[in-house]
Amino acid sequence: MTKQLRSVVYMFLISLFFASLVSAVKYLNEKTIASNQALKLQRIILKVLEIPVEKNTPDDQISRLFMERIKNIQVEDRILYVGYEEDAHTILGYAFPVGGPGFWGPIQGMVGVDPEVTKVLGIAFTKHSETPGLGGRITENWFSSQFKDLPLHPIDGDKKIFYLKPAGTTGAPNELDAITGATNTSSAVEAFLNDDLDYFLKELWTAVEERE
Amino acid sequence: MPNLSSKKEIFLTGLWKDNPVLRQVLGICSTLAVTNLMVNTLVMDAGLIFTVCMSSLTVSLLRNYTPMRIRMMVQTLIIASYVIIVDSIIKAHLPDISEALGPYVALIITNCIIMGRCEAFARNNPPLASFLDGLGMSLGYSLILITIAFIREPLGFGTLLGIRVMPEGFVQWTIMIMAPGAFFTLGILVWISKYILPNAKNGVERK
Repeated sequence: MTKQLRSVVYMFLISLFFASLVSAVKYLNEKTIASNQALKLQRIILKVLEIPVEKNTPDDQISRLFMERIKNIQVEDRILYVGYEEDAHTILGYAFPVGGPGFWGPIQGMVGVDPEVTKVLGIAFTKHSETPGLGGRITENWFSSQFKDLPLHPIDGDKKIFYLKPAGTTGAPNELDAITGATNTSSAVEAFLNDDLDYFLKELWTAVEERE
Repeated sequence: MPNLSSKKEIFLTGLWKDNPVLRQVLGICSTLAVTNLMVNTLVMDAGLIFTVCMSSLTVSLLRNYTPMRIRMMVQTLIIASYVIIVDSIIKAHLPDISEALGPYVALIITNCIIMGRCEAFARNNPPLASFLDGLGMSLGYSLILITIAFIREPLGFGTLLGIRVMPEGFVQWTIMIMAPGAFFTLGILVWISKYILPNAKNGVERK
């Protein structure tokens, strides 16, 4: 066997061995990873709908609570989660995923609104790649908790649902503090969140009107 | 086969005398990135210890069969495989920490300490010695990371392993959570180590 051929065969065999090893480990962990992600989503949906969940609530309890209180329906190509009170038929609110381009990469989040679709119950940003300590602060509590009780109305012309303004210059209930030092992230969040809210709110308003 | 005292020597060289972070200034990226919380630091350390030891051992076991010209490819393949295994296990069993560490677990692949040990030691030495060298080096790395986290977490968050250690009303030093805090802490440690560690080049003690 020539030297070159030996190298090729050696590399092939060693790649085969390690690729099989890695595949086996991945395969064994696949289910756990998927269920971790599902649980994370369930926790977030419960949180934005203000269904009390502690950080240390056991996972099976979260799943049970989610099964009892949340139903999902398809709105065109997106999912809408409907939250119910403990009696299981009074609607407590709606939750829906939002997302759009951030400064460095896509941002994803979840928004909860009340059953009359008049205000925000809660919001959470779940996935982003913004600069840690600057744009990354969208996941901090002070930022997301500002959205609580944000009044909702249809977008009319240029008037947006909410504005992010430099901290200290905000007054009206639809003006929230932007993140200092992260102007691009703030304006990206303002843009995609207004768009997504508008889209879902229109769908929801139609649904609420039909119900009444 | 090295005798007992040289095995000890190999281990101690990595752990202290030729410490990868303080003396070789390797693995700095992860040193700066994960040390603002002790929990993250410990998981990173565990991941690195596993990867360095196993990669060194594997490279050493294959050292007589691996063709010289493709050894780097083989080493990278071995390292990458172990890192993917670590990443997958952390994702499955420690999802919160996996989230906090973000891309850094996968980036263990690029940690120069691992390839450095494979090239500098494991490819020319027997398996046990290579394993010990890897263990010494990765523990040396861990020791420094834990020291930095021990300074950064209490000052930055007022906690240690999530438990409050600073008195009520302590003003958190936000800078310690961010990258500059890590640079300052590491810089000071390297500075101190210059005085404590014996001079590697000529063995002359400083005044």
